[in-house]
Amino acid sequence: MAKFVIAHMYPDLMNLYGDRGNLICLQKRLEWLGQECEIRKCFLGDQVDLGKTDMFFMGGGSDREQELVFQDLRTRSEELWQAVQDGLPGLCICGAYQLLGEFYKAADGTIMPGLAFFGLHTVAEPGRLIGNILIEAEIDGSPSSIVGFENHGGRTYFDDPELKPLGKVLRGFGNNGKDKTEGLLYRNLVGSYLHGPLLPKNPVLADFFIHAMAERKRISIDVRLDDGIETIAHQQVEKMLA
Amino acid sequence: MFKIRKLLALVTGKALIALSRALGGQGTNLPGRLASFIYPPLLSELSRNITGACFMVTGTNGKTTTCNLAAAIIREQGFSIVHNQAGANMLAGITTAFIQNSDLLGQRTHDYALLETDEANVAPLLQIIKPRYILITNFFRDQLDRYGELDITVKLISSAVKGTGIELILNADDPLQSNWPSLTGLKCLYYGFDHTAYDNLDSADSRECRYCMLCGHELEYSYYHYAQLGRFQCPHCGHHNQQLDYVGSELSLEDGIAFKIGDLHLESRLQGFYNAYNILAAATLALESGFGKDIIKRAIASHQPAAGRMENFIIGGKQVFLILVKNPTGFDQSLAMLTGDIHTKNIFMALNDNAADGRDISWIWDTQVELLARSEEKITGLICSGQRSGDMALRFKYAGLDTSKIVIEPYLRKAIERTLGLEGQVTYILCTYTALFACRKILLRLRDR
Repeated sequence: MAKFVIAHMYPDLMNLYGDRGNLICLQKRLEWLGQECEIRKCFLGDQVDLGKTDMFFMGGGSDREQELVFQDLRTRSEELWQAVQDGLPGLCICGAYQLLGEFYKAADGTIMPGLAFFGLHTVAEPGRLIGNILIEAEIDGSPSSIVGFENHGGRTYFDDPELKPLGKVLRGFGNNGKDKTEGLLYRNLVGSYLHGPLLPKNPVLADFFIHAMAERKRISIDVRLDDGIETIAHQQVEKMLA
Repeated sequence: MFKIRKLLALVTGKALIALSRALGGQGTNLPGRLASFIYPPLLSELSRNITGACFMVTGTNGKTTTCNLAAAIIREQGFSIVHNQAGANMLAGITTAFIQNSDLLGQRTHDYALLETDEANVAPLLQIIKPRYILITNFFRDQLDRYGELDITVKLISSAVKGTGIELILNADDPLQSNWPSLTGLKCLYYGFDHTAYDNLDSADSRECRYCMLCGHELEYSYYHYAQLGRFQCPHCGHHNQQLDYVGSELSLEDGIAFKIGDLHLESRLQGFYNAYNILAAATLALESGFGKDIIKRAIASHQPAAGRMENFIIGGKQVFLILVKNPTGFDQSLAMLTGDIHTKNIFMALNDNAADGRDISWIWDTQVELLARSEEKITGLICSGQRSGDMALRFKYAGLDTSKIVIEPYLRKAIERTLGLEGQVTYILCTYTALFACRKILLRLRDR
């Protein structure tokens, strides 16, 4: 049995729309696989030892809270970027995903800088993009259906043509409602607008993170879990969108 | 002058209400919508028939119960009242309530109007009606997908009331309402509880606002009543709870609810801390409007829970409780009550995602369903129903509950029958808004069979 540590970044500030369900999902699945999993909460100003962290997670927040987080995050952005390049798994939802880009332009024209890990930016445009969403992603080499719920005013555009989205939008809006892309996939880092929360209804993506974490620890986990309920929940959304 | 369009609007509205009732519906929105379409000034004109005062009640949780309690007080005093029905709290539903209480010429007068108002409908309603007081219950996460985030909801209401001269009755324990005197420039009266036996020092994860509304620094709490309600102070700018104008003290939640406001002792058959707030809010509104203490006491003591607010049925000799849940705070309060029940129990939960339920069902992950796992041996089964029965089952599974007890049955009737067939001593039927009336109808039919 190995112990996995997942850092929950700013759980008090960046946790909208049940995003903590992603952590509950990873923790339970690891436990069912016979592993141990600790969710380590990291608040503003806390020291985080990324060397002892197997994955990090950050959810969405309101504009006010996002600004506080950005100020804190930029003091450790170099370390985080290095870890991401080394393959540290990470999941950034909604506001946290936007923070990975170069800037966020608010509705009143204010420009809030981001961590600039990637050549992408977000613009708040009139009308929120709200509803159930279905995308097709390629996870570990095979095409997978991913469902969730999106609710964002910001439209994210890729400026770097090399960037890969998480998936292709089949129903719903995705990054910007125009180019049919949703989210971002870079090594083991996923940025996405999908709430729902994302992982419980999409066990294939939860297992992508579990395998990535295990691989970095050089342990193999090949037991398959019974995903009967997960599949029904996933299919209910698919059917609704059909 | 005799207005033919107004008459037509009233006739149509009343006919639709009667028709909808005859068909077994609630008759709440369509009549008002159509009548206003026929004669747009209808609501404005009918509201002028209120000779006493209009009260508006808004906020996330507790609107319906607070309004029902306030209405009971007003009726106890012998006054006539226009009061919109449970949950029909958009402009159309409010219009329907006025039509229902009007005569065909639109001239019948009433003493009071008590308007339960959806948060997003406060601004448009204020364009039409100027209430004497606006009472706010609390701001929790609720149906976020309709408005974006909670900040927006708060801003929407505070800017709508600004400059209106209306007096506000606010919850002093809610940090999202603490800066309203400066924010709105209006006279604000505050109600709240002092330290109770049920407070704790730490609180659950999904607290809405832990940060100061004025300067953005983290608030320090001396105690929490529940969720983000409690005694707080900002260590940075010193901002803290407003001075209480009406203090609830000596709260007891054993076998109903009892507490004092000054020398007024209140007792109620309702249950749970959240209902204590509803009683305190309704009593504050009544005291401030000059109602007598005896009247208030009597009305609150005899008040019965409304549809879905812990409504009680006896079916096949066993207790069945029907509970409406619509957001994490309400759900957690229901779960706390349910786990406090020592009987073995059958649990049913219908999760729908229609507009009135909130399209986004992510909120179930902000709840403390894990509480149920602690007394799992008392649970005979968890029957998940409704449009998002799969998501509900998934939440139970990841709370660590035994999957052999979890059943997915999307059809309400089948699912309820299956739940009642389990061997538990008590049955809890929990459901979101659009499943409420269907579930209630099924329960009534089973009871009367």
